[in-house]
Amino acid sequence: MISLTAFLNKLVLIVAAGFLLLPNLAKTEEVGKDSPIAGKGKSRIAVYPVENLSGTVAPVKEIRQTCIEKLKVHGVDVLEEEVLEKFMAKYRIRYTGGVNKEIAKVFRQDINVDGVLIISLGLYSDVNPPKISLISRLVSTGEDPSILWMDGVGLAGDDSPGILGLGLIEDPNRLFDKALKRILDSLIKYLSEGQEEAAGQSAKKKFHPKISYRSPALDSNKKYTVAIAPFFNISERKYAGEVMVLHFAKELMRVTNFNVIEPGVVRQAFLELRIVMEQGVSLANADTILNVLNADLILSGNVVDYEDYQGTWGKPKVGFNAQLIERKSREVIWSSNSYNQGDDGVFFFDMGRVNTAHAMASQMIQWIGKMIVADRERVQRVEGSKDRVK
Amino acid sequence: MKIIRELNWFKALLPILLLLTGCASQQTTYIDPNMDFGSVKTVAVMPFVGLTRDPVVAERVRDVFINKLLATGAVYVIPVGEVARGTARAEISNPSALSPEEAIKLGGIIKVQAVIIGTLREYGEVRSGTVSSNIISLSLQMIEAQTGKVVWTAASTKGGISIWNRLFGGGGKPMNVVTEKAVDDLINSLLK
Repeated sequence: MISLTAFLNKLVLIVAAGFLLLPNLAKTEEVGKDSPIAGKGKSRIAVYPVENLSGTVAPVKEIRQTCIEKLKVHGVDVLEEEVLEKFMAKYRIRYTGGVNKEIAKVFRQDINVDGVLIISLGLYSDVNPPKISLISRLVSTGEDPSILWMDGVGLAGDDSPGILGLGLIEDPNRLFDKALKRILDSLIKYLSEGQEEAAGQSAKKKFHPKISYRSPALDSNKKYTVAIAPFFNISERKYAGEVMVLHFAKELMRVTNFNVIEPGVVRQAFLELRIVMEQGVSLANADTILNVLNADLILSGNVVDYEDYQGTWGKPKVGFNAQLIERKSREVIWSSNSYNQGDDGVFFFDMGRVNTAHAMASQMIQWIGKMIVADRERVQRVEGSKDRVK
Repeated sequence: MKIIRELNWFKALLPILLLLTGCASQQTTYIDPNMDFGSVKTVAVMPFVGLTRDPVVAERVRDVFINKLLATGAVYVIPVGEVARGTARAEISNPSALSPEEAIKLGGIIKVQAVIIGTLREYGEVRSGTVSSNIISLSLQMIEAQTGKVVWTAASTKGGISIWNRLFGGGGKPMNVVTEKAVDDLINSLLK
């Protein structure tokens, strides 16, 4: 008798909760109409054609189209396709991996665009299990273009296989939707609330730099403006240098001490100054670039390994060197060497395994960010290959 | 009596054991006794000569060496871009094999007290029968920028196929780990 009463009570509670939730569900479907972006009607965004850094043929047009549609559903004012095409033809814009000062200025003046969304495809593999990596950023227009928001995602179909492989994703479109949703949720949150989403997962200890040097001149409390120079690519992967620049920009953006200059602006400065780097940034080049960009630090380096794998068997591999040169002292204030493989520290049932170079590179650079801002005593302990951050 | 007989056996086996274990690691060093290494505060590391099939690996090893040397905090290593600029300005045709005059000239341009040159003699996988392992063999020289004299040379070989690999298999240690060991070995001989 008691159990029947308890059951009826629970039933009543569930029905009542259902009635209360129904209006909310209806509201969720119309999030675009009620969202602050739709209401304001101010932020007008141009979505650049996707920059394909995957080194393979990928459905970049479809990726862009889906992205635009989803943004519109969320009430974002996206610049019309024809207007963007005419604008790009008028100013002969062919490079879609960044925005320089001149382009940013005319974006605002000519077509009243507030931000340019740049999407870079780092990896696309439709071989089962599929893999994808995207890095996207929103760059402001006007006199001084800057990165407003930046995020990235690297996913593989077998990231979370679950029990009996029920969590496996075999359809590339499903994986792509998942990746895009993650990116756009972060962007929408930024546009509606004006703040970026917190970093998804914190970097694991195994991804810290294997060798690092941090100069005592590096001030943990100072806010530095950083220009990221193109990375040399000595790996076998095409565009690994460009991908690594984006990874560094994304992760250093999250470090409060750093203000990262839009890579498109840095690229333009290198072109205008006709700087051809033979092996790395010389001090003379660093002086010129830092003066032109009014930056405090220049980051340069090389990519030794950036490998993804296709199919089920294999492991990603990432290795790179990074150096920070300071404008004032003209000295290297940070230098590190990082390398990891997807199965590092994995002993049982693939637990902790990383399936994409993107996910690994992100965590490796997060560690660099952490160590740069950490106090000196803490960093001293991780110098060299044997000691570890406790 | 029995103990003495066993010791004789051990004595007979000892040289063989020493020879076999010696295969895994070698190091040879020369240090100029008149050189004051404390006066060397800034050094330049030139591109290493790669005697391997893949020319890129010499650059990899050079980067590891530069980072390790910087991480010791004992000397400051100038950026590789600055070395390249100095090499171009000094009109050095082969930066990996400097003459004393070229070393002096380069040292004046990029303002370093010493220049380090190196040769990567071996890097990669070695095979013996069914067993394989990673090996690195690196030799370095330090030239004093004021006089052009060689003040330090050292060579280190790490990795290779050990008795353990032969008996129990296994692919040896990863290339990055072997590289770091060889570089550590060389830096220790320089800074000790």
